Amino acid sequence: MPDTFQVHGFMSQALILTDHNDFFGPSSRDTGSLEYTELGLNASFRPRSNVLVAGQVLSRKAGGYGDAWKPTLDYGVIDYQLLSGERRVLGLQVGRFKNPFGIYNQTRDVPSTRAGILLPQSIYFDRSRSLGLASDGITVYDEERFSRGTLYIQGGLGIPQVNGDAEISLSPTKPSLDGRISSILQVLYAHDGGRVNLGVSAARVRSSFQSRQNPSAKGEFVFQPVILSAQYNAERWSLTAEYEYQHKELKDFDNDIYNSTADGESWYVQYQFRLTPDWQWLLRYDQTVSDRNDREGSRYASEGRGPSYSRFARDLSTGIKWSLSSRWMVQAEWHHVDGTAWLPRQDNESDEETTRRWNMLLFQTSYSF
Amino acid sequence: MRQPLIACICLVAALLFTVKSRGDDPMVVLIANPSVIQSSLSLETVRAIFAMRQRTLADGQAIHVFVLPDGDPLHEAFAKKILGVYPHQLRLAWDRAVFSGTGQAPNEVATAAEMVKAVATTPGGIGYAYRSELTNQVRVIDID
Repeated sequence: MPDTFQVHGFMSQALILTDHNDFFGPSSRDTGSLEYTELGLNASFRPRSNVLVAGQVLSRKAGGYGDAWKPTLDYGVIDYQLLSGERRVLGLQVGRFKNPFGIYNQTRDVPSTRAGILLPQSIYFDRSRSLGLASDGITVYDEERFSRGTLYIQGGLGIPQVNGDAEISLSPTKPSLDGRISSILQVLYAHDGGRVNLGVSAARVRSSFQSRQNPSAKGEFVFQPVILSAQYNAERWSLTAEYEYQHKELKDFDNDIYNSTADGESWYVQYQFRLTPDWQWLLRYDQTVSDRNDREGSRYASEGRGPSYSRFARDLSTGIKWSLSSRWMVQAEWHHVDGTAWLPRQDNESDEETTRRWNMLLFQTSYSF
Repeated sequence: MRQPLIACICLVAALLFTVKSRGDDPMVVLIANPSVIQSSLSLETVRAIFAMRQRTLADGQAIHVFVLPDGDPLHEAFAKKILGVYPHQLRLAWDRAVFSGTGQAPNEVATAAEMVKAVATTPGGIGYAYRSELTNQVRVIDID
């Protein structure tokens, strides 16, 4: 009988070059930035037929992003399947679980599961990624099988890992945020073995808010995204589109000037074409606006809060992926971006010193086993 | 914004109505260790087993999945003609399971002969084989 103990891992190294603005390190200098590295190692085993124990440690460097190199527990779960039949699978995970959010979130740091080097930043933004990464709590999942498709339902309750990245991304004044019990729900339908995938994900991520400048300014920050996902998989190509509606709210402040809401929206369309089993071409258009009532950011700018273009981003990108073997992969990708809505503040001194239109060229090699 | 929403809805409608059915290949069969009592499994269950989402059979027995490398013609035939999915979809499903803490990777063997042997000697073992290379040490499972 084969041992059910398994160890897997991945690593990646990128070179990033930009003409303006810095993304993951000093990418705008002549030699570019090598400050995008990912290392992951996981282990899993099945102590009983209906129990899976799995954990993964992630160490990552992404420019000025807060937790550089610090190994973190990416997930650590005990997964128990109460029911495992032909028509239905019902189980739960206790521990730190990856948030089922959109198509890519659960494996967002694993190069082999991404369509390109970067995920669409409008929805899978890296600059405040801790908001959506994983939760400490419990999640219940259910699979309902029909004659030609499967419905997946997953709901979870837990404390999110809201870190400094979310603080600086929310405001340059870096308010202190602490995760509070949050909820997430995903319903996915996979038709005909995943030829067509349709999904809805919704979350309510809560954290306490405490201004560092004004100690009496205390309240709650709520991030409430809803994502609609659609994907078609053919033998040679895949077409993926996702739309996200993001409700952001500051509430429960004694001083009413802090209480505010902003509804943003993001969407992308992505085409992957497999030229051969080893070569893949990617084309994507990705767009985000931080506030639907101020699409061009003009009100934001007139209030003196920052440049108008920091409130939107339109990213046209194309890339190529070469799988040297089932383990090694080399990729190149070019982005032409109008706006800086997802540009990491961690890498750029101030919003004012950024440039509205910028180009980015990325190369990445990765290995997984 | 209305345009992307309408575009999404049209895309979804178009995709749902494109029908392509799975063709059976009598040359390739689903095989299991004799400890597996089921004589048939539904297609969605078999897809879940090979996507590494089904860990036990209905009677509680742990499943051990065996596969050949991605480019192997038998693997490709089994994936495309029996499961009705492409090898790249299976590979992605395994990576997603392995790196999100929701499942494990299948056991990879190098040749079709090794596959039959591994399934024959592993209780709960499930794999696939050319009908012509079957031995009496494995059972053929029908797919409903």
